[in-house]
Amino acid sequence: MLLSPFYWVLVGSFMTPAELFGGHMSLWPKHFAFENWSVALSRLWPHIQNSLLVSAVASIGTLLVTAPAAYGIVWRKPLGRQTLMAFMLMTQMLPAIVFVIPLFIVFTKINLVNTLAGLILADMTFTIPFALIMLSAYMKDLPYELVEAALVDGAGQLRAFLMIVLPMTLPGLITVGVFSFLIPWGDLIFALSLITDASLQPLTLELYKAFGQYGVDWGFLLPGSVLTAIPAVIFVIAASRFIVAGVTRGAIK
Amino acid sequence: MSPNANTPAKKEAKAVVAEQSRPTPRKARFDTSPYLFILPFVLFCLALLLYPVVYSLTLSFRQATVDTFVSGDMPFNGLTQYQAAVADPVFWRAVVNTVLFAFFSILFQFSIGFLLALLFQVDFPLKNFCLALLLIPWVSPVLTAANIFKGLFNEIGPVNQILHLMGLGSVPWLADPVYAFPATIVANIWIGFPFNFILLYAGMRSIPIEVYEAAKIDGARFWKRVAFITLPMLKPVSVAVLTLGTIYTVKVFDLVFIMTGGGPANGTQLLSTYAYQVGFSILNFGEAAAIATLMVLLVLLLNLVQLILQRR
Repeated sequence: MLLSPFYWVLVGSFMTPAELFGGHMSLWPKHFAFENWSVALSRLWPHIQNSLLVSAVASIGTLLVTAPAAYGIVWRKPLGRQTLMAFMLMTQMLPAIVFVIPLFIVFTKINLVNTLAGLILADMTFTIPFALIMLSAYMKDLPYELVEAALVDGAGQLRAFLMIVLPMTLPGLITVGVFSFLIPWGDLIFALSLITDASLQPLTLELYKAFGQYGVDWGFLLPGSVLTAIPAVIFVIAASRFIVAGVTRGAIK
Repeated sequence: MSPNANTPAKKEAKAVVAEQSRPTPRKARFDTSPYLFILPFVLFCLALLLYPVVYSLTLSFRQATVDTFVSGDMPFNGLTQYQAAVADPVFWRAVVNTVLFAFFSILFQFSIGFLLALLFQVDFPLKNFCLALLLIPWVSPVLTAANIFKGLFNEIGPVNQILHLMGLGSVPWLADPVYAFPATIVANIWIGFPFNFILLYAGMRSIPIEVYEAAKIDGARFWKRVAFITLPMLKPVSVAVLTLGTIYTVKVFDLVFIMTGGGPANGTQLLSTYAYQVGFSILNFGEAAAIATLMVLLVLLLNLVQLILQRR
């Protein structure tokens, strides 16, 4: 029952609007309207590319910034680390609008509005605090003796980080990397406020705009909605065990 | 194992940069490497997290509308924005809606999550797969859920079709302010229950099985064991779940924005959608920033209330 909404969207994406909202319930399409999908795919393809690019770059950028930082904060003990962690937790409390308005104003001034680079930077304001909090939990489980041994053997700090810390925390990096992909992938508020150029709009924004003044084209909207959920569904089925471990760590520790 | 125990001796901790530059006298050597590791992160925090937060706060004390935004001077005008915000009845409607939205969402998310977590303590075939499926509403984009529920609550959609089968009349769910509000809450419960479920599930797993077995031997029945063992021992996790739940629910924006846009007649207007509207439809950034600040105060207040209730 809890998953029935998903069943509805999946089956409904193959129905004609007339059948979908016909007089009585239909639990299975009379004939599969594959044209829904082909039309949706061809219309959405450019926006899927935008979303893929933005999410991939944001995810990689997030890992590049937070992996060394989480390691540094947990094991190398820089001054001010408590302040940084407290600030990260505080940002989790702030509503998106706190970031959206200043970024819109500042990005307008420095011409980052209507650029994918601007959208990526904006999305990273969501992913970076989240990634740092989660990665710090993984880093605490790192057997630091191995790093120390490498340092004694004459490896530099950077080398020890690349050759020991990163491989040892790989499951955490993958989990956090995927979440840092999914957050920008599903973002609407930044895309809505920063991107007006139709050719640069990500998938979510194009689907949001599908609610026109002339009613809703469900034959387009439902396959589009399923399409938007595909990366998350693949990930969750492939890695349910990692997520259970990862989420509980990040949230409770 | 405390991280402190493993801090490397200073001798070994050579900075990456220091290795390449000429050797410095031992006394003057300062280990810069911890700071190099966090440097990109700190720069990002300053430029894209701290700066916007401070900017938003100062903006709430400035007159920032279309005119002043274009001319660029945005003069300070004290609490004018805050006064304007609280003088508007829509603001108070949004406050009440936000609190009710959070309360009912969390109540049901937590209850459903708790019952599912109990159910999943028993092992059954394909358990991990079922667990993964139940996480889908939470990890998929909010837009997907919003569109699904927009369809389900359509005037000729499945919910009304079911009501019809039960011999009841159809309800104009999203077109009526009275019905639209519970409809958005139902959608939000669907998005949020997996988060509660998974944390409570993990929390229950960490309760030692011996405690239950001892209670069983003493003759405690299932619901007694739940009430006197599971609930008390789960308290730390429950507190974390409820605190995070409150924070996340007050922030909800996309779902309601897509489903109803805050309408009809502000029936589903939340502080988040209202702030966005004031900012980007009316283009009054100063007042939107003031509403944003008030939202943060509301989150703090709700968490405080929770804290007091949990103490008792």
